[in-house]
Amino acid sequence: MSAHAYRPRPAQRAASAGVVLGALVLLALLLLPILALLRRGGLAGLAQLGADPELRASLLLTAGTATVATLLTVLLGTPLAWLLARRRLPAGALVSAVVDLPLLVPHPVAGMALLLAFGRATPAGAALATLGLAIVGSATGIVLAMLFVAAPLYVGAAREAIARVDERYESVARTLGDSALRAAWRVTRPLSARGLLAAAVAMWARAASEFGAIVILTYNPKVASVLSYDRFTGAGLDAALPVAAVLVLLALVPLLVLRSLRASVAVGEPAR
Amino acid sequence: MIDVARLGARAGDFALADVSFTLPAGAWGIVLGAAGAGKTTLLETIAGVRAATTGRVSLRGADVTTLPPERRGVGIVYQHAFLFPHLSVEENVAYGATDRTWAADVAARLGAAVLNGRRVGALSGGERQVVALARALAPRPDILLLDEPLAAVDPRGRTRLRRELRALQRELSLTVLHVTHDFGEAGTLGDLALLLDAGRLVQAAPPETLFRRPVSAAAAEFLGAENVFAGRVTPLEPGAGDAPGTMLFRAGSLALVGVGDAGDSRDVAHAVIRGEDVVLAREHGGHTSARNTLDGSVSEVVTSGALARVTVDVGDLSLVATITAASVSELDLLPGARVVATIKATAVHLCW
Repeated sequence: MSAHAYRPRPAQRAASAGVVLGALVLLALLLLPILALLRRGGLAGLAQLGADPELRASLLLTAGTATVATLLTVLLGTPLAWLLARRRLPAGALVSAVVDLPLLVPHPVAGMALLLAFGRATPAGAALATLGLAIVGSATGIVLAMLFVAAPLYVGAAREAIARVDERYESVARTLGDSALRAAWRVTRPLSARGLLAAAVAMWARAASEFGAIVILTYNPKVASVLSYDRFTGAGLDAALPVAAVLVLLALVPLLVLRSLRASVAVGEPAR
Repeated sequence: MIDVARLGARAGDFALADVSFTLPAGAWGIVLGAAGAGKTTLLETIAGVRAATTGRVSLRGADVTTLPPERRGVGIVYQHAFLFPHLSVEENVAYGATDRTWAADVAARLGAAVLNGRRVGALSGGERQVVALARALAPRPDILLLDEPLAAVDPRGRTRLRRELRALQRELSLTVLHVTHDFGEAGTLGDLALLLDAGRLVQAAPPETLFRRPVSAAAAEFLGAENVFAGRVTPLEPGAGDAPGTMLFRAGSLALVGVGDAGDSRDVAHAVIRGEDVVLAREHGGHTSARNTLDGSVSEVVTSGALARVTVDVGDLSLVATITAASVSELDLLPGARVVATIKATAVHLCW
């Protein structure tokens, strides 16, 4: 049989070209606005970091509140993620739906819901206020809003990271004397650590970029997203651009961390 | 002692159902069965890492069905070892140990100590299994559950490990339940053999009985019986000295005297004959105690090492004999050669 070079048929070539073109269009839609923003405001934003105390303060507030929200979620959400990954909960599907729900709620609506649940007039809000943790116009409110909108990202990713670790590691640890929780701590936690860290970074990035829910609860003090909006509505696009550009540049940090973590996250079945 | 009564468990869509057996203290039990028969599920349910849905598990005479694994005092070794990849070899062995000296001793005896300092990720499959065995024995359990623990070990290492495990079992009076696909291992190690199929216990008997007198044709074929014929049985005229259950089996032109269950009145049956129970000769000899003498011609000879598998056409059926390669040469057994096959009635196992 003579060897012929493979030549795709015209219909196959057209389909391949369509796939590539579609991908390029989407990439352009994602990239062009970011590039335009950085071109107009990038350098000015970096220069302004040194000279604009309000911008520096809002960035610190954003990073601080996102960190607190993330730490709280890691503390409370990791056991929940473990339960969802490892146990058949009586209402497991319902619990999963409750965890995912905030991802589907428009963020200003989430802010209103938080206001209704934890505002000063509510019992929970009053209790928080007596502890000095009023949620309106405070960092507490910002943390709460960030936690509400971003915790589902952490719990979902942490659940996947734990589920990737074969359950039989825990089984072996238990036959060696560990309780279920001790086996999870001594075996599953270290084996899923990279995945948990990646989940926390993703949550932190999402929390730091939140606007809708925060602006309902706490306009002041201003996180960076609220500051850029405030300058846009108060002084126009040119005044808001440097702040916006700095936010985009800072978003690259967690993005790079995530990429490096995901590159080496697979743990589970032994290689041989 | 492991005592299991009407045990059931679920693993996804698979169900283990109605399994009952007793393995005395200090005995070595073998679990056999095809892939997906429920062997691992059975071990996991006994260890407590999988919940029993029905029935009862008793260890050392105490009901442990609702006890968590950490309170059952049972060691388990999986085929894939599941060494903790974030710990060193020494840390793996010492994970559940209360006596570090004993842990180091058992690691040395099994050959795991020479791997100290190696990364778990750099170990071969066989080395992982050795470390997993040492890790399971380090807390000094008195019950050990083994799920193909030697499958990845090279043949020489397997023989040595088998010997060492046997010695440790005797020293520690360990009760062992051991899943294996190696029939040789089952024969040399086992005091009791359990045959599982589709989540159910098909037969529980000493290995010799399991291989010689399988409960069904399917069991016989799984256990490697070379000859399984479907046919009908009729009771024999009462004869002098026939064992209870001696019957005449017919399949096509083949007629054999065999032994089945005297209490079973079914007439459709299978005759199971192991290849090593078929004796071949080139011509009829003198008097013989064997009840079955069959004339046939050799259709195939397959030699594998010191043994040969000789297929003999007997009427419209083929009979397989397993003899030594030396006998093949001595008898000059080539395809077409006429032979006489003799089989004792007790070697023709009749089952349903």
